[in-house]
Amino acid sequence: MGDVDEESSGAMMKGIDKRPTMNSVVSSLRERAKELQCLYSVEELLLDATKPLSESLRGIAEAIPPALQYSDLGQARILLGEDIYETEGFAMKPWDYRCPIIEQDQIVGLVCISYTEQLPLSDTGPFLRDEIKLVQTIAARIGHFLLYRKLRGMFESSTEPGRQEDGPSAEWIVAVDLLRKTDPNLLDRIARKMINLLVVTGCEEARELLVTYGSEVRLDRASGEINEPIQKTSRVALSHLVDETFKLAARTLSDAEILLRIQKWIHQDKSVYLVKPLIDSFASLGEISDAMRRYRHYRPEGAELSPASSNSLMASLLRRFFTEQLEFINVAKRYVDPEDIYEILDRLIYPAGSHGKLGGKSAGLFLGARILQKQRENVPDIGEVYTPNTWWLASDGLQEFVNFNNLEEVYEQKYKNVNEVRQEYPHIIQLFKSSYFPQEIVKGLSMALDDFGDKPLVVRSSSLLEDRLGSAFSGKYKSLFVANQGTKPERLAALVDAIAEVYASTFGPDPIEYRAERGLLDFNEQMGVMIQEVIGKRVGKYFLPAFAGVAFSNNEFRWSVRIRREDGLVRLVPGLGTRAVDRLTDDYPVLVAPGQPTLRVNVSPDEVERYSPKFADVINLEANRFETLDVTALIQQAGTSYPGVRDVVSLMRDGLLQRPMGLATDYAEETPVVTFEGLVSRTPFIKQIAAIQKTLAGALGTPVDIEFASDGEKLYLLQCRPQSSASEDAAAIIPPRVPAADVLFSANKFVSNGHVPDITHVVYVDPDRYNELRSYEELVAVGNAVSRLNQMLPKRQFILVGPGRWGSRGDIKLGVRVTYSDINNTAMLVEVARKKGSYVPDLSFGTHFFQDLVEARIRYLPLYPDEPGIQFNEQFLLASPNILAQLLPEFEHLEYVVHVLDIRQLSSGRILRVLMNAEEDKALAFLSVAGAHGDAAAVNEPRGVYHNTASSNIEEHWRWRLRMAERIGELMDADRLGVRALYVFGSTKNAMAGPGSDIDLLVHFQGTASERLALEAWLDGWSLSLAEMNYLKTGVRTEGLLDAHIITDDDIRRRTSYAVKIDAVTDAARPLRLGQGLRR
Amino acid sequence: MMAHSAFNPFEMAQRQFDSIADKLDLDQATRDLLRNPMREYHFNIPVRMDDGSMKVFRGFRVQHNDARGPCKGGIRFHPQETVDTVRALATWMTWKCSVVDIPLGGGKGGVICDPHNLSLREQERLCRGWVRQVAKNVGPLTDVPAPDVMTNGQHMLWMLDELEAIRGEKLPGFITGKPVGMGGSLGRTEATGYGLVYTLREALKELNVRPHDTTAAVQGFGNVAQYAIELYQQLGGKVICVSSWYQPEQCAYTFRKKDGINLKELMGIIDRYNGIDKNKAKELGYEVLPGDAWIEQEVDILIPAALDNSINTDNVSKINKKVRIMAEGANGPTTPEADKVLVERKIFLIPDFLANAGGVTCSYFEQVQCNMNYFWTKDEVLGKLDQKMTSAFIATSELARKQKLYMRDAAYVISVSRVAQACRDRGWV
Repeated sequence: MGDVDEESSGAMMKGIDKRPTMNSVVSSLRERAKELQCLYSVEELLLDATKPLSESLRGIAEAIPPALQYSDLGQARILLGEDIYETEGFAMKPWDYRCPIIEQDQIVGLVCISYTEQLPLSDTGPFLRDEIKLVQTIAARIGHFLLYRKLRGMFESSTEPGRQEDGPSAEWIVAVDLLRKTDPNLLDRIARKMINLLVVTGCEEARELLVTYGSEVRLDRASGEINEPIQKTSRVALSHLVDETFKLAARTLSDAEILLRIQKWIHQDKSVYLVKPLIDSFASLGEISDAMRRYRHYRPEGAELSPASSNSLMASLLRRFFTEQLEFINVAKRYVDPEDIYEILDRLIYPAGSHGKLGGKSAGLFLGARILQKQRENVPDIGEVYTPNTWWLASDGLQEFVNFNNLEEVYEQKYKNVNEVRQEYPHIIQLFKSSYFPQEIVKGLSMALDDFGDKPLVVRSSSLLEDRLGSAFSGKYKSLFVANQGTKPERLAALVDAIAEVYASTFGPDPIEYRAERGLLDFNEQMGVMIQEVIGKRVGKYFLPAFAGVAFSNNEFRWSVRIRREDGLVRLVPGLGTRAVDRLTDDYPVLVAPGQPTLRVNVSPDEVERYSPKFADVINLEANRFETLDVTALIQQAGTSYPGVRDVVSLMRDGLLQRPMGLATDYAEETPVVTFEGLVSRTPFIKQIAAIQKTLAGALGTPVDIEFASDGEKLYLLQCRPQSSASEDAAAIIPPRVPAADVLFSANKFVSNGHVPDITHVVYVDPDRYNELRSYEELVAVGNAVSRLNQMLPKRQFILVGPGRWGSRGDIKLGVRVTYSDINNTAMLVEVARKKGSYVPDLSFGTHFFQDLVEARIRYLPLYPDEPGIQFNEQFLLASPNILAQLLPEFEHLEYVVHVLDIRQLSSGRILRVLMNAEEDKALAFLSVAGAHGDAAAVNEPRGVYHNTASSNIEEHWRWRLRMAERIGELMDADRLGVRALYVFGSTKNAMAGPGSDIDLLVHFQGTASERLALEAWLDGWSLSLAEMNYLKTGVRTEGLLDAHIITDDDIRRRTSYAVKIDAVTDAARPLRLGQGLRR
Repeated sequence: MMAHSAFNPFEMAQRQFDSIADKLDLDQATRDLLRNPMREYHFNIPVRMDDGSMKVFRGFRVQHNDARGPCKGGIRFHPQETVDTVRALATWMTWKCSVVDIPLGGGKGGVICDPHNLSLREQERLCRGWVRQVAKNVGPLTDVPAPDVMTNGQHMLWMLDELEAIRGEKLPGFITGKPVGMGGSLGRTEATGYGLVYTLREALKELNVRPHDTTAAVQGFGNVAQYAIELYQQLGGKVICVSSWYQPEQCAYTFRKKDGINLKELMGIIDRYNGIDKNKAKELGYEVLPGDAWIEQEVDILIPAALDNSINTDNVSKINKKVRIMAEGANGPTTPEADKVLVERKIFLIPDFLANAGGVTCSYFEQVQCNMNYFWTKDEVLGKLDQKMTSAFIATSELARKQKLYMRDAAYVISVSRVAQACRDRGWV
């Protein structure tokens, strides 16, 4: 027991080694150093227990003021009983801070600090938060020291010779005696441990004793449960049992061993006492924080906590700080130390009495970083991975903010109709932005800003719902960039503003709708906030990372047969990672499969250039805002001041892409193309990413999705979460028993994840017939027909199935010659490789427009119909009525090559559904009931996530549109407007309308020019009103909702333009009733 | 409707030749000689893959005819390359070189492979392997490759380097299409567009029309179109519209300014794929018309310089009555059916393989310069190009006039007869 002091000072030393790594800000480092110096002096003074107490305490009083912020004005006093120890000239001042000294639950004294002058207010009066904690620590330390002195005194007096016959070897008996006097409860616990030990060593009597202790009761009753309470053992009896136990121990074990055990258990028990608040689920974050600090200071080296309590401590800390999710805790326990949590404490902002957490995003990143750190020894390729400096705002900050400003009514928001939510959302944002934050949070943010300096920041939501397995909230809540420039008050105002907006996003229509769909509405939303420095470098007036991106450990978009799914996928962009995270319509990220980095999507220099990133997201430090720049111009301008430019770009010279070489490159005179060629081929980056992904996926037991950024020198991990792709990219569950007659085709090679629901049309280019076409013109005509069909068929509700290589630019016979714009409305591109003799042709994997497909989420599937076990219903494709000639009479001559099937017509209203599952490497296309949800789901129907959400919306969207169309008909004054008939067609009629769909109307007009003007005005009015209503319902803004086509008798006669829709063979327009008998 | 024998590009090339041979009344031996390639090499190329395994690729080189000089033609990397495609392309190269009267024959080569499945290192080994297999049969005085489908300057440099290593000497004339500074020729960017206008200028002369008095509509705004417009405007002509692809809407538009488009102005509002920004064009006062509208403009000259088959039965009837000349900048812009309409309408045609032969002529110049290891200035290159194109045009149109041939046929006739003559002179037939 006498070695406690040495151990705790040892812990102290360790603390000194550790702490400087945590902080970057010089001023706070200085404060920290002063504080440490003080604690160190205190330990020194208390180390020598033989020193007179008065000397030690006076020394401590002297040591405190130098640790304070204004050390020259500081003074300290320690009261102990009647005694006073103080700095010279101590005078009582109103602005002081006092902390009681507690010895065995009794207040025995006081530590008091104050300043000789009134000083500006800080966290607590004039004192910093850390100063207060310092005094608390010292007071606690003194309390323990006093107890230790007392025990030591008793110990010395009782080991005087002659008291025991066993002489010096019976030291343990003294210890037991001491415990009996000072802490009988502890003695009980130790005795219990002893008896368990004895039982384990095989002592029969100990077993009997255990039975009398009561804990063994169940052992004897194992054969049958008895429903009566177990009898309680009385206190006196317990005392007796303790004696018995140790008697038994004396007989069984050596004195030395008994002493050793007792010492160890006392240590363990003491640690448990220290960590008790940590495990207490009612403790506030403040209390936990204090307990953590105490634990750190007092934690003895070596055998500190029994593994069980250590585990339970870790588990409860993880639960308190991160999440209740067991999967997370189970993994995290293995990689996180209490020390790691301690590091969070210094950067955690929370309201008083907070019980908040950090949220999902924080948890993922924190755990990811820990795993990488721990695994670095085993996997050297991981290399150096950093995490950006981060401060956290606990999740109940939001609640506190709402309460503080009396905004409680927003909680009702989520139960409102979604169009109300949408309508009120802008108002809520403004309301939040003009509200105030509680003082302690503002103070915390102010400290955070001092720590960050004027580095740009990103405020990210870290909701407790976010990033949970199965509900990827990614992008539903806001992440906001703050340039963080200007004076401190300006920066603080901007930061607070951003946090308010992130808070407001909790009550935005999208997350609420999303939660409603997932049944998470009643879950009380709490949102943690991460305030992170933006990784990057200043380039002129801009701030940006050299590159950033996302990496998936499963590659769902393989562009070559040589790439395996586990080779992963990285999407790289220059500048901020926002452009890599989102699918872009006007730009492309660079794609690399880390497992096969040399196999690139784009091969020829012009392809590489065509699909290279053209823009970069940056922060404009002068304008204080987020901007998107032309990256070529930026690099031409910035040249070598762009971080790591040589690894980022290649130079297009005379048709060749070359990596910049030498010092003489004048970027302004070159055509830089972002290729990341240097990064991929001459740096360890790809290896590093591969190692990171593999390690994280291994540790978390699930494929992961990470975000990263580099400032050109260091690689930072920004996010880490399970790769739970958006619902439509999720692996579809393929139903086991689909009747063979309903199956159109199946696949078992190179299948990616996803499902394509509600396919109404199939375009099938018969490989054999295509191959037999005689003239080049006919081959080209097939491509033209496909292009026309692409414009006519309902968008994303048809699939293209054809031979070999779609879009082949070489031999036209190898695939239908199309460009991306000729197929951009398809839901899926299927390539059929039919065996020719023993030879199966290569498929393109969509390489000709691969990146376009990826960004547009058009699915790709290769079919090998001649492989064993594959279903391919050629009969259905070839023998079903072909509607090509009806749609495109001019292509009638290609009818035997190009088959267009109206699935609904062929299958009495059913649709085709393609389910794809990469895990099983299987895909199945089969006929199914449309929009299977609700009642329809009663039919043996696979229900993907997609159906539960989107198609129910589609249902609503088309019904509403149809109702509106009917209403227009009813209210139309047909005579006045010269209208003969009104029809609806397109997506509204076909029950396919989505939230952004037009209502297609066909107006058969027979009036005069002025009537026509009136008609147009009347329809315009409807169009605008409906657009507004639709916006309120769905959040989709359109300029107008009606797409009215006015046709005349002449059009009908000549069957021009949309007139063909009337009485058309397929997809005919549906007449609407014109109301109120106006039409006679 | 039933399909008969499948489309085969080589058979098509042979049919085309047969019809010209009939016109020329060639003897059987000459026909036999020219219907089929002189030599074909088919070979295996073993390549060590990055993972250590070996993969064997199939390579070809077809030398159709070298009576007029070393064979010339590209090397294609394609996963479903067939020897018939290569044969057809080699045949067409023979005619193309001959029509502009450059002393080269026709060849083509390829490898069955998909570069998308190969790393750059593997592609390098494949290129070097290709050269090792045919090193004895190619060279600056024998057969001169160039980049083609899915091959580029980088592949050519690897191939050149390998041949030079085998032969132990520098042979920059072995390959064309090299970057400037590595043996490439200046003027290559301008060559096709300028070449087209050189022939157009001569056509106008022949029709007795001053370029100043003409207007033109151009389809496409790529490299060929841009340089063609530049030179045509320098001659005094007025381009009233161009069509170009508009990326955001995935469709083409025609941009019209009736008092003449301003090339510089339009060059300022294009994306890097030469697509004109629709909105900015509107601001600059251009009318934005549908992509197909270029063809129906009231102009004297149409220059299709974008896609193949863009003049077809659907739109050929929309060609304005005023149109007198069609100069084909693109390859095969007119379908055979539409071609018949052009003949009926008596539109003066400058056929593609004459009008856009500036490119291959410049490749020839590259080879010449490499062989003598002395490089001309751009003006010298373009001056010589003008001479070549002008005399090629005059020869063709004279023949057309004298023999009352359609220009397309005349171009074929002249090129085939030159080759046939060379074969005869050499005593091959």
